[in-house]
Amino acid sequence: MQNEEQHYLEMRNIVKSFGPLIANNNITLKVEKATVHALIGENGAGKSTLMNILSGIYKPDYGEIIIDGKKMHFRNSFDAAKNGIGMVFQEFMLFDDLTVIENIVYAYEKTRYGMFIDKKKNREKVEQICRDYHFNIPLDAKVSEIPVSLLQQVEIVKVLYKGAEIIILDEPTSVLTPQGVQGLFKAIRFLIKNGKTIILITHKLKEVFAIADEITVLRDGKVTGNVKPSEITENELANMMVGREVLLEADKDPVEPGEVILEVKNLTVKDKEGVVRVKNVNFDVHAGEIVGIAGVAGSGQQFLVEALFGLSDAEKGSQILFNGKDITNGTPRDARLMGIGYIPQDRLNAGGNPQGTIWENAIMGYHVAHGFKSKVFLDHKEIDEFSDRVVAQFNVKTQGLNEKLKSLSGGNIQKLIVGRESIQDNKLLIIEDPTRGIDVGAIEFVWEKLLAITREGKGILLVSHELNEVMQLSDRIYVIYNGVLIEAGNYHEKTEQEIGLLMLGGGEDDVWK
Amino acid sequence: MTSGNETIAKPKRFDLTSGIWVEVARYFFSFIGVLLLGALLIYAQGEDPLKAAKLIVAGAFGNRVAIGNSFRWATPCLLTGAAAIVAFKSGVNNLGIEGQMYLGAFIAAVIGYFYKLPAGVHMIVCLVAAGFSGVIWMIIPAVMRLFFRINEYITTMMMNFIATLFCDFFVIWVIIPSLGITTTTAATPNIMKGARLPSLIKGTSASWGFLLGIFCCVFVYILYRYTIQGYELKQVGENLKFALVGGVNVKKTFLSIFVLSGFLGGLAGGVEVTGGYYRYVSGFSYTMGWEGIMIANICKQNPIALIFVSIIWGALKTGAMNMERGTALNRLTVNLLQMIFVILVSIDFEGIFKFFDDRINKKKELDKIIRQTGAQNAN
Repeated sequence: MQNEEQHYLEMRNIVKSFGPLIANNNITLKVEKATVHALIGENGAGKSTLMNILSGIYKPDYGEIIIDGKKMHFRNSFDAAKNGIGMVFQEFMLFDDLTVIENIVYAYEKTRYGMFIDKKKNREKVEQICRDYHFNIPLDAKVSEIPVSLLQQVEIVKVLYKGAEIIILDEPTSVLTPQGVQGLFKAIRFLIKNGKTIILITHKLKEVFAIADEITVLRDGKVTGNVKPSEITENELANMMVGREVLLEADKDPVEPGEVILEVKNLTVKDKEGVVRVKNVNFDVHAGEIVGIAGVAGSGQQFLVEALFGLSDAEKGSQILFNGKDITNGTPRDARLMGIGYIPQDRLNAGGNPQGTIWENAIMGYHVAHGFKSKVFLDHKEIDEFSDRVVAQFNVKTQGLNEKLKSLSGGNIQKLIVGRESIQDNKLLIIEDPTRGIDVGAIEFVWEKLLAITREGKGILLVSHELNEVMQLSDRIYVIYNGVLIEAGNYHEKTEQEIGLLMLGGGEDDVWK
Repeated sequence: MTSGNETIAKPKRFDLTSGIWVEVARYFFSFIGVLLLGALLIYAQGEDPLKAAKLIVAGAFGNRVAIGNSFRWATPCLLTGAAAIVAFKSGVNNLGIEGQMYLGAFIAAVIGYFYKLPAGVHMIVCLVAAGFSGVIWMIIPAVMRLFFRINEYITTMMMNFIATLFCDFFVIWVIIPSLGITTTTAATPNIMKGARLPSLIKGTSASWGFLLGIFCCVFVYILYRYTIQGYELKQVGENLKFALVGGVNVKKTFLSIFVLSGFLGGLAGGVEVTGGYYRYVSGFSYTMGWEGIMIANICKQNPIALIFVSIIWGALKTGAMNMERGTALNRLTVNLLQMIFVILVSIDFEGIFKFFDDRINKKKELDKIIRQTGAQNAN
């Protein structure tokens, strides 16, 4: 044990909960001065919460922060900044219409007589920082005019200007090109040499091995490992991040796939900022099979699914064929009418209406795709008949069809949504994380139902963050990493370690470059 | 994460945080609160609260004329309230009912005076035209919302000013000079007899507009309760993403909300002219449009409750005038109490209760975690 040894930064026994969710469960993080400490874990593992506590945005429910032997109580983020904590957020916090230098000094301007901005002094200090740390940025350009990689440097200069000693970089490479990443790493190395301490949040293994001095791994709000990169292999690290005990095994028979129902060719999707999130993806789904796509959250699966279901637009040259018909850039309504069902990951915002009743939630989509006898009035006989079928076949525990959805437990809401989509006469189901946050019993139930659906000759595209789920259910497996789809073999062809490595950008497939 | 420890919430024996009892208690205590405050307020002005209350009731329901007047003032509340309910139930913030009303009234007054049509038909044309002018006024914010993503909060509100000023301008600078008359009020001449709504109770100012208002409330109720369109409207309002994913044509649905709400707003103005003032008078509404938004909030967006609240609102208005005649009190006292009632009813008691409940639960949860992890560390 190295308990006696004093570290530069120590966060001890941090606990933070949001309602029923425990985001940080007794986390202890120790960082040496002038090192790069990588904080890694899947999305939702608790990294961002922990760093928000360090930078004074959240207050911990329990635990203490010690910097250089002194106990800290940050009242707010200004207070943390004053004490040398600087955070560079994943989403840049810059004013588009101001110049670079105005953004850097914002809220921390040097003043004359306590009220006038001393532009000269500001500029001198910013220029000094740029010289010291070899940043070459056009100070008088407007933020909206300079490229993303420079914006990141602006953010770093901004925290240095505020006097940061510990700099937190939240997934800094997610917006950068490979060249940009190299530039960033150079800057990081230089900062270290000058005595600054860096905490790097990421889930890309290659980056960790390239730059980190020490690694702390989080999973489900707890620390699962604290290692040095030289002491560990990619495989072992991947295991710490995503590996879970296999609690469940699905009872899956080999299937004889039928004809192609969904064909995706050269699908490319950009987000609102114009960053490519899905790159040239090709795959198909046959009748009667489950095609699984595994991947760390934020790898582009969300954009892929949204483009397939008509929720966001695909780029030119992309083609999505459903039963041979081109449905590229259709609407969700079109998709429903053609027989595509969709179970979204976000069951309370997209999958259901918490304020609505059970029946209101049960008939959504069905009333579009199948419809009722009366096109004008709600036929409660038909509605109740259909809703009862969903409730009964999917074992939804409810006090009645007029109960509000929000009073149901997560597992029951999920069963209702899965039931609604699978009882309809859909030919293809697009499913995201069907078992997220529900108990083991409910998971088993949902899995069984999904396998039963394929036996009826329907096709399923399963997108999940749970690797085990994809491996247990899928006839063919793909991995999505950085928007690129990688083949990962058929059912039980590759091991969990092999696929896990692909998910984190490791292995021989060098998509990272 | 929450996996693995999912529990079904145990029903508490006395669940004060939800259900009908909260609502009943809310209105009961708000009413008591207003009575107490009102008594205090009246007493402070040197009058007898009981006498004032008697005068209000007598003024509102004491005789045929009083009841008629109460219905007359309930009428605009019914229509503007219905317009607000349609909008808010479906997640559209129509703050422009006032403007839609003005435009509707103006159009109805113009058609009612300048065009000669058969009696009855004339009235219907006036009302429909008033409704559609409200629709046109609402289409502009709708287009800005759907295609340029400009929040209708701002646009509908701004359109109010444009509408009132536009109508006044037209009346003062175009209509009055064209008639060659001199007048001290900025108003159009009275509309023709054939364009007027028939009287509901003889010798009072209550018109068939009251029935039209109730009909609109019932229509809104049926729309949301019994039709597929209403189901979609409700889902779009409560959770847009859910409706979109479910295959609802969200744009079309959204637009129809704007259209319906605007129509009811315009109709409210049309009824004021054809069944109330018989002409467009500058500043006729005071704040009728805004009152609609307020009472929609009081009745928790329930169109049937709206009918009762509107009648009470109308009764208070006529009763207050009677009180003013019989005592030294100003009728603004009653207005003041109405506003206090709105505030009391709008307090989110559930939210406050939940806030403290959550804090207590969180403390317990935290103690548990610390005890558990403490035990682990000891090992």
